[in-house]
Amino acid sequence: MADSMQLCNLSENNFEQCTKCSICTTVCPVAAVTTDYPGPKQAGPDGERYRMKDPAYFDKALKLCLNCKRCEVACPSGVHIADIIQRARMKATMGHRASLRDTMLANTDLLGTVANLVAPVANAALGLKPTKLVMHSVMAIDKNRTFPAYSRQKFTTWFKRHAAKAQDAYPNHVSYFHGCYVNYNFPKLGQDLVKLMNAMGYGVHLLEKEQCCGVALIANGLYKQAMRQARVNTASIRQAVGTKGHTVLTTSSSCTFNLRDEYPAMLEIENSDIRDGISLATRFIYNLVDEEKVKLIFKQDYKRRIAYHTACHMQRMGWQLYSIELLRMIPGLDLQVLEQECCGISGTYGFKKENYERSQAIGSILFKHIENARVEAVATDCETCKWQIEMSTGLPVENPISILADALDVEATRRANSAGD
Amino acid sequence: MRMDTVIMGGGLSGLTCGIALAKRGQRVTIVAGGQSTLMFNGGSMELLGNIDGQDVTNPLQAITTLPQNHPYSKIGANRIAEIADEAKQLLADAGINMAGDATANHWRITPMGIAKPAWLTLSENLRIDDLNQLPAKRVALMCIRGYFDQPNGMLAQGLRDLGFDVQAIEFTTDDITSLRRSPSEMRATSLAKHLVSNNALQRVADQINSLAGDADMVLLPSVLGQTDDNDIVTLQRLCNKPLRLVATLPPAVAGMRMQTLLRHYFKMLGGNYLTGDSAIGGNFEGDKLLNVTTAKLADMPLRANNFVLATGSFVSRGLAANYERVYEPVFDLDVDADADREKWTRFGVLEPQAYSRYGVATDDNLCCLKQGKTIGNLYAIGSILSGHDAIKMGDGTGVSMLTALAVARNILCGK
Repeated sequence: MADSMQLCNLSENNFEQCTKCSICTTVCPVAAVTTDYPGPKQAGPDGERYRMKDPAYFDKALKLCLNCKRCEVACPSGVHIADIIQRARMKATMGHRASLRDTMLANTDLLGTVANLVAPVANAALGLKPTKLVMHSVMAIDKNRTFPAYSRQKFTTWFKRHAAKAQDAYPNHVSYFHGCYVNYNFPKLGQDLVKLMNAMGYGVHLLEKEQCCGVALIANGLYKQAMRQARVNTASIRQAVGTKGHTVLTTSSSCTFNLRDEYPAMLEIENSDIRDGISLATRFIYNLVDEEKVKLIFKQDYKRRIAYHTACHMQRMGWQLYSIELLRMIPGLDLQVLEQECCGISGTYGFKKENYERSQAIGSILFKHIENARVEAVATDCETCKWQIEMSTGLPVENPISILADALDVEATRRANSAGD
Repeated sequence: MRMDTVIMGGGLSGLTCGIALAKRGQRVTIVAGGQSTLMFNGGSMELLGNIDGQDVTNPLQAITTLPQNHPYSKIGANRIAEIADEAKQLLADAGINMAGDATANHWRITPMGIAKPAWLTLSENLRIDDLNQLPAKRVALMCIRGYFDQPNGMLAQGLRDLGFDVQAIEFTTDDITSLRRSPSEMRATSLAKHLVSNNALQRVADQINSLAGDADMVLLPSVLGQTDDNDIVTLQRLCNKPLRLVATLPPAVAGMRMQTLLRHYFKMLGGNYLTGDSAIGGNFEGDKLLNVTTAKLADMPLRANNFVLATGSFVSRGLAANYERVYEPVFDLDVDADADREKWTRFGVLEPQAYSRYGVATDDNLCCLKQGKTIGNLYAIGSILSGHDAIKMGDGTGVSMLTALAVARNILCGK
């Protein structure tokens, strides 16, 4: 009885739980560098009270929110502060037409499809000063940014030609949500995952239909398109998880967070039946090793010093532990775990001209930590953090899956995991 | 995932225990659900400040008179001095420079201008060793224009009551004025983030140097040094007169820095710190806890040889109450609390409140109890413990650090 009385007055994002302690504001990377943004407490729970009275109280400064979710992670009272802010943005801008620039940045898969076809030209053109200046002035994409290079061959094309046939022969099976980055920009990460899973005795399969997870669509206000794509993905994942009994693996923390948590929270797409079936590959692999279902054997001569950066959405999911502990299994790897700081890119945010300076100011703390760590490379589970850190520090940034695949003694691992069959 | 020790709670007690264990080579994971009450700490630690309304002058001696159910008595009054030294050293190792003596309390100044007994205080904060021998006669209290987390009138009056000759001086700089664009967020922590460049600090120093007149000492609200004390040292160097900081209303920069430095030290020792996750239950077998389930790790519980509950008191949701009972929400452990709801509180918020002494029941090793049975590998430390009163006895931070170190010792020697 007593419990149900308490539950009666909870809002959807439990903003009544806010005790006004202001701790969220102390960890907000945007409020730290600009006074234009009122900070998460004001933008979230405080503002929500006004907006509930009259939507006209919506403050345009809310678009400065990175949606990094650090406020939610810090909140001692469990308030979904960033969700409140993003939902408010969504309500206020629903039906507005997104600008050409935002539409282009948000449609990572459309851009990728076109760019793949003409990859050498696209890469060269996007790197040219005149192109950058045109993009800067006409499109408002900052001239200092470098677009991630496009691959000549899509991951899916490679997979169908070189890997698909062999997958059924393995005793165990998983599905893979590769995401836009692996497909259009960096197929090697997907190939590394296939290599790793195969060595452990797992066949890798593509989803029936995969579309861009839509994280950039949500951030850029293209909600209807995001919902359409989310429905397609959720149906495909449901088929893989429900019918085939596969776990759906991912190699991008932001895609994972979007598929699992933003779909229900932002797009109201019910996925509770399949949410547990979506896993970052490092989590899945760590668990197999932990339960002694597979063995990983690493090269004897592997030696590197690497710093691990916890992406904001990775921290929000609370899964950095798996990537970190998995990397710690590599005997020759000297791993430095960095203090969690936002890199400032937040997907497409940092690409926009109006955000560039703020984005770099936000990231400067992290860049300093990386510099002090004196490492040869940085590991992180997020591809946009990778672009930002590579551009800003000059160090190579790798996904933990690629580092594992690189350090793995493939033959020895294959033998160790097939012995019991 | 298997660890040597899993600690639930990432505040002062959880971090202290985690550091002590990781330093001895243990594999430790801390599950921290949001930021802790350390964020409200103005830069002092208390061992024992007050017994029955009387200020304590020698905490080590006073501890011997505490009742048997006080956490210090469970540690053993004879071990307190040694563990208190270890705590002070641990803070120093983490980069937190504090001064103080466990046999002689000094006085810290609250944001309201009240002197309270303290054990350790950050070296840059105003600290009074003897109320009859103030460290300065004339002080310039620098008040930042537009900053409202410091009740200047009350603070100035409080200092005057202590015998200081106080001149309250309002000042601002261009950097500070620009912050007022977001008036609702002009907090100590935002000032600390913006007053970092040497130029910005020089402008503050220029104001102080030109306005402080004939003061012997300058007091500034504690709005500097979020991640280390470099900015404070810089400003002290730039000022012509001795500069001391005074605690502000929360969120407190000093507490934030202590939290950051402790967390950083813990991670440097190889510890895992899971922010924004929280323990939601566990599996028991006989008198042992086998594993802990967390909200984020879901179907992959954390296994360990030992577990430490450091989830704090009511404010941190380590304890909870409904209309029927006071309870411990993660494992439903036995609590020391009145069954009769009428007894929980009494009229007058500043009166001693029974609920502030409530907490989980423990044996003399600080092991928790469930349905009367001791759980041999589940310990409780810090504010969640029963039998002490952080507000009325001034023993909160001391209990947090000392029980954490005592439990770390118990774990390491297999007690």
